[in-house]
Amino acid sequence: MLQVMTRRRILSLWFVLAALAFASGCAGAFKVHPWDRDLLAEKKMSYSPDPVLMAIDDHIYFSKEGSTGGMGAAGGGCGCN
Amino acid sequence: MLLASGLPAAARAGTNGTTQIDASTLFYGEQGRVKVLEPMARITRIYPNGQSISAQLGIDVISGASPSGATPAGVMQTTTSASGTVTTVSPDQIPVTDFQDLRGSLDVDWKKPFGIFTPAVGGHFSREKDYQSVGGNVTLSADLMQKLTTVTVGVGMNHDSTFPVNGISTGLTVPIQTGGGDDSRPGDAIAEGPSESGSTNPSSSPKKVINVLAGVSRVLTRRWMLGAHVTRTLEDGYLTEPYKVLSVLDAAGFTVKQLTEKRPDTRNRTSILGTTVYHLSSDVLYGSYRFYQDDWDLRSNTVDLKWRHELEDNRFFMPHLRYYKQTESSFFRSNLVDGQPLPEFATSDYRLGPLETVTVGGTYGFHFMEYPGEWTIRAEYMAQIGDSHPDEATGVQREFDLYPTQNIGSIVVGYSIAF
Repeated sequence: MLQVMTRRRILSLWFVLAALAFASGCAGAFKVHPWDRDLLAEKKMSYSPDPVLMAIDDHIYFSKEGSTGGMGAAGGGCGCN
Repeated sequence: MLLASGLPAAARAGTNGTTQIDASTLFYGEQGRVKVLEPMARITRIYPNGQSISAQLGIDVISGASPSGATPAGVMQTTTSASGTVTTVSPDQIPVTDFQDLRGSLDVDWKKPFGIFTPAVGGHFSREKDYQSVGGNVTLSADLMQKLTTVTVGVGMNHDSTFPVNGISTGLTVPIQTGGGDDSRPGDAIAEGPSESGSTNPSSSPKKVINVLAGVSRVLTRRWMLGAHVTRTLEDGYLTEPYKVLSVLDAAGFTVKQLTEKRPDTRNRTSILGTTVYHLSSDVLYGSYRFYQDDWDLRSNTVDLKWRHELEDNRFFMPHLRYYKQTESSFFRSNLVDGQPLPEFATSDYRLGPLETVTVGGTYGFHFMEYPGEWTIRAEYMAQIGDSHPDEATGVQREFDLYPTQNIGSIVVGYSIAF
């Protein structure tokens, strides 16, 4: 159990460091001008373009599987798991 | 609360703001088990300054049969529900109990950009016959590097209450038969025996859930976004499924008795999610990978892929593929053995056992004639595959498929309009 927790902490720390490096270190490599953001403005260019459908899917998989979480800080439990 | 998309809402709100209505109805059915009808609607108002308010209302109408957790009897078995309904079960059939329930939920969200910062606040309430959930969450996003990078942190808290029909079980004790109505929940015919002191079981028990989120999203190119999030969830309280039982078997594999299950009263979860969206010439690819781990020793990996293929006349087709695999929790048992000491915790709920889920399907989007708004129809097939012949199966149980593959179908009809 201690090894699992230590491995998880190390994994989480590496992830955070990698994410910060990714967010800050890519400024030079990936440059998107304001006039290049036409595609990004489309509704379908979203991690969750259909929030209602995502809520339905979250409920299905929360009820049918042992894992949960990922995209938000909201809890929203039910008695289905 | 969802993470920010590629551009702030104000970019799409226009000069007078925008009202968006999304409505969907789920038709869900498991082969021989649960059926669900779930209409859901969401209204979002986006103001020109980027402020947005949304409310989402959902209703679940649930009926059918759910596995009780017991193993096949090995002999013809007759059970009587709390309402007096007699059910005959064949020797190799997984015992299930009928139930029906109605659940309502309401979620509200508000967010407003202040310069590069966008705070958001959300609230949640849901209620069903034997469960209630009340919660709230706060997130703060910061748009950095000319809005190409968005960093988000958030915290959410839920106060849930469980009030099963026959009270809270202390776990791993012999259930008793009790009375109930025709709309009784699973296990209404099964209830905890009196405690050693002779006092009645508590009628309800709370559960507190705290979620902490940190994430970063990056626009890499004109066509490509990438995001990564970490979520920690701490649960404390009554986490046992009150209607599930375990079978205690003799050496030949026949049931000696049943005991109510028992789970720890804390659970620490961690999920790491990577998401990406890539815009082709007209199509869009969506991909995500999630790693999950908790202190019940359950680990899982999830891969989710979608491809939105644009068709003529503002139509699209989006195939979907999802693969999920989890390991079993440390206290998962297919059954207990008569004469052996009881473990501290035990469950035979297949959702905490070794499990694979494969989902395939597709969404078709279209506009109906000249009417405004977009319709979508999604059809999906889901297969859940457990360990049919676990090593701990004994005697006659080795002849049975203890966790047969579940075939699940769903259809979602959706409508979306912005004005």
